[in-house]
Amino acid sequence: MSLEPKDDHDHKGWLQQKDLSPVEKGYLSTLMWIDKRFRIVDYMELLENLYYKINLQMPKSHTEQYNLDNKFWYWYPLYSLGFFSLLAYIVAAFSGALLGFYYVPGAAGGATGDPSAAYQQITFIMTDLNFGYMLRSIHRWSAQVMTAAVFLHMLRVYFTGAYKEPRELNWLLGIVLISLTLVFGYSGYLLTFDQLAFWASQIGVEMALSIPLLGEWAAQLVFGGFTPSAATIQRMYLMHVFLLPFIVTALIAIHIGIVWMQGIAEPH
Amino acid sequence: MTESDTTGEQPRTDGSGIVAPDDQTPTWSDRKARTQGLSRLTYEYFERARREDQDLRTESSYIERDVLGFPAWPHETIRNLAIASFFIGMIIFLSATMPPHIEAPADSSTTPAVILPDWYLYWSFGLLKLGPLNPELSILGGQKLMADRTYGVLANLVIVGAIAIVPFLNKGSARRPVEEPFWAAIGMSGVIFSITIAALSVKNLFPDMMPPHLLFDLTFLLPIVGGCLTYAVLKTMREGYMFELNRRYYRLRPPK
Repeated sequence: MSLEPKDDHDHKGWLQQKDLSPVEKGYLSTLMWIDKRFRIVDYMELLENLYYKINLQMPKSHTEQYNLDNKFWYWYPLYSLGFFSLLAYIVAAFSGALLGFYYVPGAAGGATGDPSAAYQQITFIMTDLNFGYMLRSIHRWSAQVMTAAVFLHMLRVYFTGAYKEPRELNWLLGIVLISLTLVFGYSGYLLTFDQLAFWASQIGVEMALSIPLLGEWAAQLVFGGFTPSAATIQRMYLMHVFLLPFIVTALIAIHIGIVWMQGIAEPH
Repeated sequence: MTESDTTGEQPRTDGSGIVAPDDQTPTWSDRKARTQGLSRLTYEYFERARREDQDLRTESSYIERDVLGFPAWPHETIRNLAIASFFIGMIIFLSATMPPHIEAPADSSTTPAVILPDWYLYWSFGLLKLGPLNPELSILGGQKLMADRTYGVLANLVIVGAIAIVPFLNKGSARRPVEEPFWAAIGMSGVIFSITIAALSVKNLFPDMMPPHLLFDLTFLLPIVGGCLTYAVLKTMREGYMFELNRRYYRLRPPK
């Protein structure tokens, strides 16, 4: 025998006196069921607060005040480059996830002229897999386009002075992001493990080795040795599909969040 | 032990027990106001900032509305969707017409004639070839201070660092390049340098096009020439632009 816990707030009675349609009743009882367990009311309050905060009364923007709409929107394509790079990033993420189903980061015995596992998988994707050719093409092109858009975005920000006073930190964050984009591209370039990838990673190893004191340690850490091998491609793969996506996605969110908070820097 | 401790069911709220009396329970803002040290400072600063914001809002002569002027739906949304689908269509078109190429498999025993990274790293690759600029110091007996490859990697860091400190050097509210010919010239020479250094890094693709020394000199001369040209042109244009800008400004806000 057990005691039924008492419903202090008499939710059932309240529901019955409301005379609701089945849909409304279902919705409310689900809401009450969840709320009893997670007390979502508190979080709803937070959300409501946020909603009203972003709808705070704002002063007229500079563009509106001086009626510069025609001047400003004429340059709109240059102002959407950041959005463009975000789009390309999303396209690359999706096509990259699909490519990840088929790619294998194996390069054992690959440096001897025999095709390695990674190279064989790339060949398989390009020649045998349905739409694999298109998939790799989309991934590669969206990466190229993202890099180009990020460069042009930086030039636009420079030449319209959008990095100035309240936005210095976002400029620094942008520099970190553009560097990470380049690392993204470089690590992806090495994953095919063809001739150019091999020798490009050799150059990377040389660059790491040229750092005074820490050089050998850095080369071991990033490239897994002093000559490109299976370890190199394993590390590049992990960087490309695990490490960088987390970091870059988080930084992009912060970057865009700051733009949202501070507003876009309109040209004067 | 008093009598109420043993008999009272309700906690005492008159201040004599461990529970503060109802009318003396500090509110959250009281608690914040009573804190000490750094948190007290933070509290005071935020209160002050909030008051400043409020004052600015009440003083402002702008027309105030609930939302910003340009409606998110449907105007901005449709424009964004149009641009987004155009961009994605462009990516798909590019990938359908120009699929990637795949090289021969990796082979450490044969070095290809031309080793290049993707195009967006040409500038960085070019900076690795700055060996001729690495000075041979007489104080070290004609030795170089650092190896050529260290010098090249350092050049990369110097370039990134130089870009990073721009907002801390160039202040003020000027936005258009015409308002600041000097900084526009710096930017333009940077753009030209990134192109020329990329050309320097891919020189092996076109070995017969230009003598290497000429290319090396042009890599550093063209940016300077381009910067000077930009400066001259913008300086000349500036007069007219500032006239238009001021006329627009004073027409809206006639001088008292």
